[in-house]
Amino acid sequence: MSNYIPTIGVEVHLELKTKTKIFSPSENGYGKMANSLTNEIDLGYPGTLPTLNEEVINIGIKAATILNCKIRKVMHFDRKNYFYPDNPKNYQITQDRTPIGYDGYVEIEVNGEKKKIEIKEMHIEEDTCKSAHRGNKTLLDFNRAGVPLLEIVTKPCISSSEEAKLYLEKLRELLTYGDISDCKIEEGSMRAEPNVSLRKKEEDPFGTKVEIKNIGSISNVVAGIEKEIERQTKLYDQGQEIVPQTRRYDDKIQNTVLMRVKETGNDYRYFPEPDIPFVVLTDEMIEEAVKEIPMLPDERRRIYQELGVSKLNANKLVQNRPLSDYFNELLGEKINHQTASNLLLGDISAYLNRNEKDIKETTLTKERFIELVNLIDNNTLTSKNLKEIIIPLLEEEKTIQEIMKDNNIENITDDTEIRKIIRKVIEENKDSVEDYKNGHERAIKFLMGQIMKETKGKANPKMTMDILQEELK
Amino acid sequence: MRYLNLPLVEINKLLKEKKIKPIDLVNEAYENIEKHKEYNAYITLNKEDAIRQAKELENKEVDNLFFGIPIAVKDNIVTKGLRTTAASHILDNFIPPYDATVVEKIKERNMIIIGKTNMDEFAMGSSSRTSYFGPPKNPWNKNKISGGTSGGSATTIALRDVPIALGSDTGGSIRQPSAYTGIVGLKPTYGRVSRYGLIAYASSFDQIGAMTRNVYENALLLNTIVGHDDKDLTSSKKENEDFTRLIGESVKGKKIAIPKFFVSEIVSKDILDNIKQVVKILEENGVIVDYIDMKYVENTVTLYQIIAMAEASSNLARYDGIRYGYSYEKPNNIDDLYVKTRANGFGEEVKKRIMVGSYLLSGENAKTYYNKALSIRDDIRKEFKRVLNDYDWIMGPTTATTAYDLDDPMDDPSKSFLDDVLVMPANMTGLPGINVPIGFGKDNMPIGLHIMGDSFEEAKLYQIASFIEKELKLDLNPWKGEENE
Repeated sequence: MSNYIPTIGVEVHLELKTKTKIFSPSENGYGKMANSLTNEIDLGYPGTLPTLNEEVINIGIKAATILNCKIRKVMHFDRKNYFYPDNPKNYQITQDRTPIGYDGYVEIEVNGEKKKIEIKEMHIEEDTCKSAHRGNKTLLDFNRAGVPLLEIVTKPCISSSEEAKLYLEKLRELLTYGDISDCKIEEGSMRAEPNVSLRKKEEDPFGTKVEIKNIGSISNVVAGIEKEIERQTKLYDQGQEIVPQTRRYDDKIQNTVLMRVKETGNDYRYFPEPDIPFVVLTDEMIEEAVKEIPMLPDERRRIYQELGVSKLNANKLVQNRPLSDYFNELLGEKINHQTASNLLLGDISAYLNRNEKDIKETTLTKERFIELVNLIDNNTLTSKNLKEIIIPLLEEEKTIQEIMKDNNIENITDDTEIRKIIRKVIEENKDSVEDYKNGHERAIKFLMGQIMKETKGKANPKMTMDILQEELK
Repeated sequence: MRYLNLPLVEINKLLKEKKIKPIDLVNEAYENIEKHKEYNAYITLNKEDAIRQAKELENKEVDNLFFGIPIAVKDNIVTKGLRTTAASHILDNFIPPYDATVVEKIKERNMIIIGKTNMDEFAMGSSSRTSYFGPPKNPWNKNKISGGTSGGSATTIALRDVPIALGSDTGGSIRQPSAYTGIVGLKPTYGRVSRYGLIAYASSFDQIGAMTRNVYENALLLNTIVGHDDKDLTSSKKENEDFTRLIGESVKGKKIAIPKFFVSEIVSKDILDNIKQVVKILEENGVIVDYIDMKYVENTVTLYQIIAMAEASSNLARYDGIRYGYSYEKPNNIDDLYVKTRANGFGEEVKKRIMVGSYLLSGENAKTYYNKALSIRDDIRKEFKRVLNDYDWIMGPTTATTAYDLDDPMDDPSKSFLDDVLVMPANMTGLPGINVPIGFGKDNMPIGLHIMGDSFEEAKLYQIASFIEKELKLDLNPWKGEENE
């Protein structure tokens, strides 16, 4: 596409799922009335001091572990000084010199090949407040001020928009599974800011970097990077220089727009935050935090497949966290796991989606689910039966047997009784038997139909077929 | 009858016996303040609320020594519903929505806040002359400074308006005005008293402390304001203790170090003579006094200026006219709001320190100045720890001269150096330091002795300070003369 080699780095900001803010006891919540989740600390009142939410440190350790980072055991916070109305103290408490995690990586698969996206560092900081512009006025909502953030910075090692996309998807999957953040780009709990530069040859130094901000989705990250590569290519081809700058992606015109040209030497006057003593992470603290990390997606996929679940089903399960967690409860059970996954991804998923429910909100306990899997697996229940009783199965407390009885499902599993009926049908349909013996395979379906009619559909189909074939020999 | 002149223990007895009521004390305090209006000790009085509170207390049991006692609070300690300005135009309409932790503590004991005392703007200065509200005047001579930055608290205690006050000390701001006005002031160990609600100047130095008429009452007041605070991560987890417990115990065999620099030619002869007098008394009572060489003592002011101004430049960034305080009325845009609010709202000294501080943190300067100063600060701590391993206390004069004239020039760098150099080590190291009056100069102005102790050994400071106080038996009430007028 172009004669230049793109170099891409990505900065990701994640809001952490804590109960309270990072430096104050105010609730950390989204979508509440403006300025209802604030106190004097969030507003930067005179005399206030930060406290430190230990939950954030704990999550930081987990995130660093998940992203294969080294963990800084002695760290401190720094003040980043700049004036902006959304920055209540006019300094932001962040980690400049001692980020909690560094030198990590995320593994992605590009065209079937594995690639490590290297992570330079990840640090903890506080979010700013949210501003809304109304005419010539700006309204400030401090609910977001002090919400804990994790900033994850890659090395400039991404070489295409596709890689950036795969990295972000992988990051989102990992960190959602690690209970680090809900990673909702549309709600702003995950913000991705790529930077792009071009150069002619691998040996050349990096070109001038341009940052892209305000991107509302992963697909727009891809679009933004591509537009930027296009723009820079054109400029270089025309013999022009690239000015270091920050652009934003405008969804309406589907292109990037200049926000501001980088001033040389943006001076944040960083210095260690004197109000927060150094934080020392002990091995015990790290161990405790790491223990809390749930099983991660790659491991889930691997284990599911080892248990006989198809690759397709394994992927689908992992894409649905509540179902995957439910499924994880069954890993040690002696059941047909493929059947179990089909069941979860089929009728049960359909029901949950229809009713906007979580599987935990249904009456399907682990024990009942296992029973259900076995009933299907030994053909006591047909898929048709299942569709009939899916609602009571998920909404009523009754046993499966009771539910089956309520719905008149009494499958005949006694083979002497079935054999009796089969013989009767054979006797009454000699023509069809003849056809079958002459090689008309379809005739057996007719016979099956007759048997089912005779048993009012209560015969176990697999068993019936086995006996029928035996009798026809 | 002037009850507020009595020792706290006696006032408490009278209250318990119902011979007087809290309202009598409050009324007397306001009569005193009214009479001493020209001393300009207060920025804001809390009269209406204090009277209401005093009346409410009439139905309550006198359950502690400080019940119903009028107290003055420095105006950089926030008080819910009571204007708190830090002596700055930029906060002159600021009514805090919350109480500082120390204020909660004094309210729990039913002390009655009489008013907010005058100070240097944002505690930047050494004579309280940078106050937006004009300087307080020295009770011993109206033409002299009361010192700073807790000049208003020192003035009102020296005047005996109220018996107790809170001050704050970033670079000598409790001890120096205490010396100039002849009262007792102690800067506790950094972390001993919660800073929550203390309007920050230089976070790693700031500490709240008690300012009182005598050593014993200082220890009593400190008892009530210390303790770990979950809201201040730099507050220590030390158990509470009775700081009066060593008062009266023998000091025989104890060892005191006097760094030679502290009694060098930088100190006036008057003061040196008084120090010698005290040394003589101590030695007569079996205390060993050595004059020693100490590294770094001359350098603390320079290092302090780097660290404190850097921190201040960041701490004062929040005053932007957006959320509270003074706001420029007709800004053209947000930058205009910032610039004009801060240009009009801050005084000259504050602006100077913000600019110097910003410069010190700027680009490579942070490494050259700020980080280097922090690392030397560690060395200074070690040097003081080393000396305190061998000695019980480190001693010297609190100030190089007695209080100077109010109209002396404010921009004399050598003077501001001398204002700070003797008391600064306690802030650099975080160690506790106390001023105890030891006499008067030829100008009839009070002279103070400064004693430093090891971390969290405030009780030991009170022990030696109280011993000296008892030996000297000074008459420290400037009011006496006034009453005779």
